[in-house]
Amino acid sequence: MPRLPNTSPQTLSVLELLLESPRSWHYGYALSQLTGLKSGTLYPILLRLADQGWLETRWTEPEQPGRPPRHTYRLTGEGAKAARTTLAEAAPSRMTRRLAFAPGSR
Amino acid sequence: MPMPGFLGRLADVLARQLLSWLHRRVEPGSREWLDALTAESECADDGWQRLRWALGGVPLVWTINKRRQMNEPTRGTMRARIVLGVANIAAIAGWHAVILQAIDVATHFFRCHLFFGNQPGGCQDHPFVFASIAIGGAVLGTIIALALRARFAAYWWAVISGFTTVGSVWYLRSGIVDLPRYGATQSAMLMAATFGVVLAAIMRNTAWTETGHGPVHHVGDSAGAPASFLSRHRITTHLIAGAISFAMADSLIRMHDRHLVADNVNHYAVLGCAMFAAILAGLIDRHGSPKWRPV
Repeated sequence: MPRLPNTSPQTLSVLELLLESPRSWHYGYALSQLTGLKSGTLYPILLRLADQGWLETRWTEPEQPGRPPRHTYRLTGEGAKAARTTLAEAAPSRMTRRLAFAPGSR
Repeated sequence: MPMPGFLGRLADVLARQLLSWLHRRVEPGSREWLDALTAESECADDGWQRLRWALGGVPLVWTINKRRQMNEPTRGTMRARIVLGVANIAAIAGWHAVILQAIDVATHFFRCHLFFGNQPGGCQDHPFVFASIAIGGAVLGTIIALALRARFAAYWWAVISGFTTVGSVWYLRSGIVDLPRYGATQSAMLMAATFGVVLAAIMRNTAWTETGHGPVHHVGDSAGAPASFLSRHRITTHLIAGAISFAMADSLIRMHDRHLVADNVNHYAVLGCAMFAAILAGLIDRHGSPKWRPV
């Protein structure tokens, strides 16, 4: 059976992080460090979420002179709502997965 | 743990080169996400981290290009493909028919048998007539293909131009026209010309170098992606493509245990074919159809 969109563990971890402070803007590098995702995994996820209208993006002026402008992200209102629903629906299976890999589970 | 200075700098250079190379693989209107990844690479603490970050650009570029293909209007793309296919077929098959007719006309006009090189009255008796038709025809074929924006056909005629020109010069010089006896040489020349065209086309392929998007200052260049070494040094590109083609054709022939006849002379002919074809391919790439055309 094909998996529902935006329910991969990687996408869920990104959504979880973005939901912690849904109104603030997040940088890609920080998201990568906090979720532990590599850039090659993170950016396609962000791109897909933006395409679906879950994520809004913005270019910000560089904090240090000589640096390029940075791309920042935050959930849209609709995206935040959808992310909460997705995380809630995925919670039981995520819990099962966590328990299965917990020490002493065998 | 910080990396030793030299390795760190090397990784840094590799990361920047990779990002600028990836930049050229994405069409200007779709670079936003790659620009974003590139900008974030400046946050990396050292060269090694930057390289690891830049490697993530590879799957991202794949995703971007796949998304662009999926979003392209299928009807327009199909129509463009059909038009391009017809142009290529017309430029190859149509022009071949014209050349054959020209040879036929010349046969009647000069009362000779240009189709039969090794027979009396064949092309060895009228080498300039045959060479003019063959070389002129192939060069005209290239020009027609370029006019039709049929790049595949242009490469096709470039191969034949290189092969025919070198072959004709060589045959006129040595007086050898008995083609079947020199099959290995013929194969090597044709292979070298084909490799030369393909390699030169690949090596000169610097798609989407124009700047079309974004507020981002790209790594290594504030105005746009820097041109690659090969695109900046066109002659070198041709020479490298020709040399590799020559080596490949020569090796392939030797692997089949087919010795080239009169080694030294033939090697010059094979090398000439490779170089000539590579130069033609370079010229086609420079003056031919655009790298990318929105449909």
